[in-house]
Amino acid sequence: MKTALQLQHRIAAFIGGARDDFDALALEVFTFQFERNTAYRAFCERKERTPDRVAHWTEIPAVPASAFKQLALTCFPPDDAVVEFHTSGTTQACSGRHLFKTLELYDAAITPNFNAHLFPDGARMPLLSLVPDDPHSSLAYMIRKLGARCIERLEPGNEPVCVLGTAFNFLKLFDEGIQLQLPAGSRAMETGGFKGRAREVTKPALYEMFEKHLGIPPTHVVNEYGMTELSTQFYDATMRVGHRSDVKHAPPWARVRVIDPQTDEEARPGVPGLFRIYDLANLWSVMCLQTEDLGVADGDGFVLFGRAPGSSPRGCSLNAEALSVA
Amino acid sequence: MNATIDQLQDAVRRVRDTHQYVLENRRTEAVIKALADAAQSWLPASSPWRAQAVEQAPAVTGFSPAMVNEAIDRMFGAITADSLGALLDRELGDRRVLDEFRPHGRAQARAFGAPVIVHLLAGNVPPPGIHSIVNGLLVRSGNVVRMSQNDTVFPKLFVESVRAADPDLAMCVELLEWPRNDAALTQAALAKADAVIAHGDDSTIAALRRLATSQATFTGYGQKVSFAYVCREAMTPEQLPALAAAAAEDVSIYDQQGCLSPHVIYVEERGALGPRKFGAALAEAMAAFQARIPRGKLSMEEAAAINTTRSGYEFRSASDRRIAVWSSLQSNDWSVIYEDDPSFVPSCLNRVVFIKPTDGERRVLENIQRHATRISTVGIAPMSERMTEFAKQLAGLGIHRVCPIGQMQRPPLWWFHDGKPNLASLVRWTELG
Repeated sequence: MKTALQLQHRIAAFIGGARDDFDALALEVFTFQFERNTAYRAFCERKERTPDRVAHWTEIPAVPASAFKQLALTCFPPDDAVVEFHTSGTTQACSGRHLFKTLELYDAAITPNFNAHLFPDGARMPLLSLVPDDPHSSLAYMIRKLGARCIERLEPGNEPVCVLGTAFNFLKLFDEGIQLQLPAGSRAMETGGFKGRAREVTKPALYEMFEKHLGIPPTHVVNEYGMTELSTQFYDATMRVGHRSDVKHAPPWARVRVIDPQTDEEARPGVPGLFRIYDLANLWSVMCLQTEDLGVADGDGFVLFGRAPGSSPRGCSLNAEALSVA
Repeated sequence: MNATIDQLQDAVRRVRDTHQYVLENRRTEAVIKALADAAQSWLPASSPWRAQAVEQAPAVTGFSPAMVNEAIDRMFGAITADSLGALLDRELGDRRVLDEFRPHGRAQARAFGAPVIVHLLAGNVPPPGIHSIVNGLLVRSGNVVRMSQNDTVFPKLFVESVRAADPDLAMCVELLEWPRNDAALTQAALAKADAVIAHGDDSTIAALRRLATSQATFTGYGQKVSFAYVCREAMTPEQLPALAAAAAEDVSIYDQQGCLSPHVIYVEERGALGPRKFGAALAEAMAAFQARIPRGKLSMEEAAAINTTRSGYEFRSASDRRIAVWSSLQSNDWSVIYEDDPSFVPSCLNRVVFIKPTDGERRVLENIQRHATRISTVGIAPMSERMTEFAKQLAGLGIHRVCPIGQMQRPPLWWFHDGKPNLASLVRWTELG
């Protein structure tokens, strides 16, 4: 246990800004998880990617996000979990669970990353959240940890504010006809898509609505990409670069690779694929996660694609999604 | 090239006029012969229609050239003078009712094809569209056809092959393209239709039904799934290879995108060989089919869906003995997933099939009940008295077709597509006496 805690402290320091070596840490975390997570170990052995054969972090086997639906995937006895977050599970019957032995790394990863992307100008302002509190929502936890105040209604005021919510929370607000001119410098963080919702809008249309309904220009709306199965969030660079940018960058303790779904290897530059995310803050579960999200690499960052609306199957067979909706 | 409202209205007028001409100048036997000749002209290896389809269709439909060849053999091989005549006789009682008054009880009756049928095709699986056009021509109607953007090749070439056999008959079809969601154009096409045949997803069909006039008869063919059931009697070393090959064919044809494609194969326990053996044998047969008829190209989303499905089951199979995965090496050409859980799971398509052990029909009925209205065909091996009882129960749930495994993708021309007669909604009757 001593080594585990040492590893945890080392990653916490890395998240806190200490210099360290991602590659070396990733291999150590892999060895740790291989030894303690039975299901993951069996999978690595099946793939013949065991710690003695893995020389580089990119060779670490990825755990498919769907595995969280059936398995606890912890490096500790699941009964010892201090908290568990649940996925929304909109398109599958059962939702996934991410269990935490400690929230030390999770907590450490939240604030510096958020501030770097929402307040690169060093501004300080109240955080207001449209997300309903829920003990099993990782998003609600993150927002609570940031010190945001949950609000039912957005009121006009004299001081700039930062409003946090899901894209759907905001759309609901706009559909209700809210009309505010929030003070200059106000900003917003929106996250998530419209999966399983009756109404869908494109992101550019959504950003125009922020300006129309709240007076927040598109240059002050940041998109967050987070997953229940991870401990680190990703934000687009809009506020940092001063104009709308869909490019997100991983913080030093995480990496994102784009995987060609045809070959399961890294996609060639500019070719879209599935994100495979390496997150050292996921020390007590699984560090390397294969997501179901499509996007493309952009320089040293990445761009998440929205779900293609109205993309229908080519033939006359129903696909899983259509059948589950029926 | 999208049609304009003027072009659409012209097309409707033209087919109405030509239909009248053909009605007066062709007898049913001549129409049968022309359609059969057209279909048969696709079959030789040297057929120019085949050559053009193999050249053009892969880019539009996504199917491999070998699959296009296979589709031609199956689809046009089934359109013969005998099968066309049988379709008419079975559905209208007597093919000559389209030519003259024929005895009808104490009276006489004659059938007339709808002057204008509007066909709205969907998807890239060719048979529904071709059959739609054949049915319309068989009753000598005028036909305005909106092609699917995923398959413009087969309808165009088929009508050309009809033209070679009978130019006047081919003039009864106008092939057009316009966007699915352009309600104004669709409404213009439907305004003067006497019959509408719509293919597509449920919401598309509901929207089209609203756009059609109350005078027109409306037939909608929605999207469906299918499954198969293997009895323990079939699970012997002697029967397994042929059975697996037949199942692989049913799964793989049209890359599983058809409504007749099985998503799940239930295999009974307590046979000489267990259900897992079926998975292994099917995997071998899928590989052999892939070598003969490769799967087509996938979109990024389709490839991602296979990757996600496969990796999820592969991960679990490493530590869970109730799950096993067989799949093509170094590619996503095919996947066989064995899962000891009786629930019906739809596949992500493109040759991904689930094998599920079962202790009998009752369990399967329980598990498919929820989806019954969306199920087209159930393949069975072998047919037996017990399975006839099972078929009756499936029929009670509203399932349209039960057939042997290996025949799932070979419905006869006169099959009740989605449980409906093919010609009834396309004709009106006059009684005399």
